[in-house]
Amino acid sequence: MTKIQKIKIILVACLLSLVAGPALAAEVSFDTKTQEVKANQSFEVGVFINTDNESINALEGQIVFPVDLLEPKEIRDGNSIVNFWIERPKIESDKIHFSGITPGGYLGKKGLIFSVIFQSIQEGSGSIEIQDIKALLNDGKGTKANTTISNLQLVISKQVPASQPAVVEKKDTDIPETFEPIVTSDPSIFDGKYFLVFATQDKGSGIDYYEIKESRQKFLKIFKKWVIAESPYVLKDRKLRSYVYIKAVDKAGNERIAVVEPRYPIKWYENYWIWIIIILAIIFSFIVIKGNLWKKQ
Amino acid sequence: MKKNQLITYIFIIFPLLLGSSFFLFQNSIFAASDATVEATIKISVCGNGIKEGSEQCDGSDLAGQSCTTEGYTGGTLSCSASCTFNTSACTTAAPAPASGGGGGGYVAPVTSVVFSGRAYPKSSVTLLKDAQITATTIAGADANFQISVSGLSGGNYIFSVYSEDNKGIRSSLLTFPVSVTSGATTNVSGIFISPTIAVDKSEVKRGDDIAIFGQSAPQADIVVSVASDEEFFGKTISDKDGVYLYNFDTSIIDYGTHNTKSKASIGNQLVSSWSYLVGFRVGTKNIMAELPKVVTKGDLNSDRRVNLIDFSIAAYWYKRSSPLASADLNGDGKVDLIDFSIMAFYWTG
Repeated sequence: MTKIQKIKIILVACLLSLVAGPALAAEVSFDTKTQEVKANQSFEVGVFINTDNESINALEGQIVFPVDLLEPKEIRDGNSIVNFWIERPKIESDKIHFSGITPGGYLGKKGLIFSVIFQSIQEGSGSIEIQDIKALLNDGKGTKANTTISNLQLVISKQVPASQPAVVEKKDTDIPETFEPIVTSDPSIFDGKYFLVFATQDKGSGIDYYEIKESRQKFLKIFKKWVIAESPYVLKDRKLRSYVYIKAVDKAGNERIAVVEPRYPIKWYENYWIWIIIILAIIFSFIVIKGNLWKKQ
Repeated sequence: MKKNQLITYIFIIFPLLLGSSFFLFQNSIFAASDATVEATIKISVCGNGIKEGSEQCDGSDLAGQSCTTEGYTGGTLSCSASCTFNTSACTTAAPAPASGGGGGGYVAPVTSVVFSGRAYPKSSVTLLKDAQITATTIAGADANFQISVSGLSGGNYIFSVYSEDNKGIRSSLLTFPVSVTSGATTNVSGIFISPTIAVDKSEVKRGDDIAIFGQSAPQADIVVSVASDEEFFGKTISDKDGVYLYNFDTSIIDYGTHNTKSKASIGNQLVSSWSYLVGFRVGTKNIMAELPKVVTKGDLNSDRRVNLIDFSIAAYWYKRSSPLASADLNGDGKVDLIDFSIMAFYWTG
């Protein structure tokens, strides 16, 4: 092989490698690759996935941030492509771990997983990193997809940067989406006790928390206290005679209450409200009769 | 105490005592009668497509009710997962403005999404919003369907749709992210649900034909793939009922396990996604196959659905030692992300 032939082969190989492009891989990244922020400023960082023509239905991983430079304030998942969190994104020292599923799969170039509101603490530079990412294909086998990551390089300075990122403040007046909690039981969990499953979304600010109240007395439920709860929730009334109220509260404080009717409602004579009415009626009758008797005397 | 006062007190106290004794006594009586009642259990299964007992509806069985009977002026009444009416797609017409002036009231714009496309003739079509059933409808004889969902907020939703054919076989889940604009109606058209698929033999004698069949839209071009070391493709056309049948000659493939899937197209423009994979074995004898179960994997509580309940049971066993065998979908001795991925694939809402 002559020298010219060798050069030709190398040139063709180089051209082919340019044309071939990268192999299929889902990429998990942030909004941008670099970010300049002023010290003591709040800003939002979105975590996205580009599935690269593959349908992904399960995701897990963690975000690691420099605690000396950043303080995480809030996690927003209202518009997430993840429908059900196995482990909801949670701030733990310098990490935010997450795992969840998208039934039916997600295929797209910019699917929001969640976003984090950070506050810069002091000047310096560092990076917010994506670690231990696992994305599984929607193929019924849980095949691991090839993944790549792209971290965020961060510079925090005293000077106001030319393009200043900020927290997107959107006034959320919408209440969370409608939802239908389900009461069920299964011998394999909670010792076969009845439990409640529920989930809803809030596209504005995201769900903040849920509260539950169980009451056999429909009209006297105001005397029962709401308790913070998560799905699945083991019902206290194992006889299923209570109305169960589930309140979904979003991060803007908007509420939606769903009600599960009792499977075995109480009898009429067990309803305190009816007895209150009867007693009041008797007292009223007593007053009327007594008044009439005195008048006659 | 005067005589009249005494009579009055007796008049008041007696009914109270009578009432309270009735209350206490009746509790014990009714406890006993409750035991009798509990012995006569009426079974109603939510999700079997038949309205029973206290159910308002079940699947497509709406007990003859519609949006108008529920007090609305129009729209599509559907049945929720808990067998109660879902009126979210029902509409109430705004009253006609009175003639002759006067100030008009503000009518808030409706945020809705309208889905339309093709399933199978007269098949049930189920729509999921963020993985939970939000509406069901029945496709027309031409396989066309339309579902409207209102009462939404502006934001990103994951909608999914699937259908069930005339043999009760479910299609794969077709999912699409939709960005909904507040106060506007978003139209999602051109949906083409993948065909259902089944085989007549679980094991086929090498050289014999295996029948690959299912349902799609009428007169659709069906491509059948048989995946082995090499992938073979065959073509057929569905009949007027959308039913297709393809006889595959197994003499061209080796002994062992093989998978088949199908997809449909109409006029080379409307193309469905691939159906579920169905496996069969090429061996030395013929063994007839049963029709695919409605749900094959992920139905942990055996209610023929894969939904939030199953997810909750699996989540309970997530990363725990000695997990429930049925929650360990890939049989690797642990419940982890892979099991959730398999569950998400077979999701029904």
